[in-house]
Amino acid sequence: MPVPKHTSDIFEILSKGQFICSNSCKDTTRKLYNIIDENFDDLYDYFKAINLVLEKGDEYYMFTRLENKTDLERKIEAAFKWIDILDFFKTFDHSFGAGYRFTPSDILIKLSVDVDLKNKLEGLKKYAGGKEKHSEILEKVLDQLRRDNFIDLENEISNSYKTLSSFHYLERLILSINIPESVQNEILK
Amino acid sequence: MKTFSSIQQLLGTLNREQKLLSELFEKRKILSFNYDYALELVDFDADKISALIDYSVVRQNGNNVELDDLYLQFFEQVMEVNEEINVSYINEHIQNIKQGIIYYLQENNETRKYSYLRQVKQALRKIGTIAFRNVVDLNRNIDNTFKNEPNYKIKKTKLEHLDEKRHTIYALINQTDHLVSGEEEQTFFKVASDEELNRIIIVLKLQLNECRHNLIDIQKQIIEYLNRIKHQSGVIEKLRQIKYLKDQFELKSKTDIVALLAENTAVVFEPNPTYPLNVPLDQLQTDDDARDVILKVRKRIKTNIKSNMPLMGSIGGEYLETNIEEEIQINLDEVKNGFIAGSNNLFDFICNYDFGKEVTFDECVTIYCQMISQFDTLFKITDVYNSKQDVEFAMVYPK
Repeated sequence: MPVPKHTSDIFEILSKGQFICSNSCKDTTRKLYNIIDENFDDLYDYFKAINLVLEKGDEYYMFTRLENKTDLERKIEAAFKWIDILDFFKTFDHSFGAGYRFTPSDILIKLSVDVDLKNKLEGLKKYAGGKEKHSEILEKVLDQLRRDNFIDLENEISNSYKTLSSFHYLERLILSINIPESVQNEILK
Repeated sequence: MKTFSSIQQLLGTLNREQKLLSELFEKRKILSFNYDYALELVDFDADKISALIDYSVVRQNGNNVELDDLYLQFFEQVMEVNEEINVSYINEHIQNIKQGIIYYLQENNETRKYSYLRQVKQALRKIGTIAFRNVVDLNRNIDNTFKNEPNYKIKKTKLEHLDEKRHTIYALINQTDHLVSGEEEQTFFKVASDEELNRIIIVLKLQLNECRHNLIDIQKQIIEYLNRIKHQSGVIEKLRQIKYLKDQFELKSKTDIVALLAENTAVVFEPNPTYPLNVPLDQLQTDDDARDVILKVRKRIKTNIKSNMPLMGSIGGEYLETNIEEEIQINLDEVKNGFIAGSNNLFDFICNYDFGKEVTFDECVTIYCQMISQFDTLFKITDVYNSKQDVEFAMVYPK
């Protein structure tokens, strides 16, 4: 089965649980996205043979497995963390989503005028490994998002970040959680 | 029609008549601005107005004057004042055209008939520009609303209103198109048709067509924006609910998140994999970098166990003594020199030669053969044979 020569690079990124996004800041990643786009069927079959499913999302690619390997506890923990982080950023700006550009200082400025946002950031302290300062907590959170490939540092000088299209995955995850109607009504009260 | 020869001249003229022009601009939505009023604004100097008309800054329409479309558009665009999308404006023009057509058909006086025709032409000419401008404004307004309106509900309602406006503009464009195609007022367009009217209609149709294309695109844009708002507010609403449940520690019990995640097999959830591979021994032994790596690892892994370096035993005295072994080599060259100096035959000479060591008869034979094979040019080999101890040899003399 002919596969493109970048297959090992693609595997390298995706097997770490990262995403290949069409709007990545790295030229090479964007190139990989196009390569997958062109050879999707071949690569799909190729990775299928080693029990990995190449999945196409909204402008991103990721791996899923044929059978479950991670324990549930860990997944719930991760999902909870994402819910908290997502909630924080959506409070910062309702339109925070794929393609959104921001700098940590934008958020820090808003902290001083938005108590809700500040409380939420303090709620994120548990993911920041013992950091106390707002800027440090934020930095940690951003660092985690960057490592998971949801955002990318676009400009090192101005320290501006760009939200990648893999952010759609988080939103999709949120939307796919079902809340029974009775519970919804309860919340509204 | 004159044209301005330089920017200075253009700006000078506009500056001179700024009173009139600004007044005309302010009253641009009123169809008729009386010539007499205009005259008052230029200190009753009719030449000034006619000069403006000559340069087509101002257009005279019967007894009315108005700003030329070119300048009107320019002013509006530069000052960005046409934010209000006035759909009724187009409608009014359509009514005007229809009225003009009726008057034209009913009027018997040629001159007056002609002025009605002019009015219709004027309106037709404007309608395209207005429609086009409306489309541009609509586009800008939609964009502005989507990007700048902070309130989601208002944003959504505003976009929906703009969509209605788009719908109206579209209908009006169709109406205009229908009108100028000569399906409604067949008589007028047959009777009054002249070169100018035809040209105006063609230009108008082209403009309307472009508007229509733009509107289709705007429609797409509105739908996309509305969808995005819906998606975003959907995500936010959902997120709020989920966050609320999570903070109440009820998320697991009240939603299907556990089942959902149990099915989710995304690699994202997995810890970063490491692939421990054994180091090839060959590489460890031969690679230069490998030594550094080993030392680095060695530094990190500090054990308290002191390993005793095994010492070598002392070297025995007999290894340090120097042994001399002598071996006597036979120098054939020396032997040859001695032989040539004498007169004895070679074999006897070798047998009697003092080599410095005991030489057996067999060795003598070997030396004899070696000498002959090496120095045969220097020897005289005769046919006379002699024998000694059962070995027959040729008698060889020096030359």
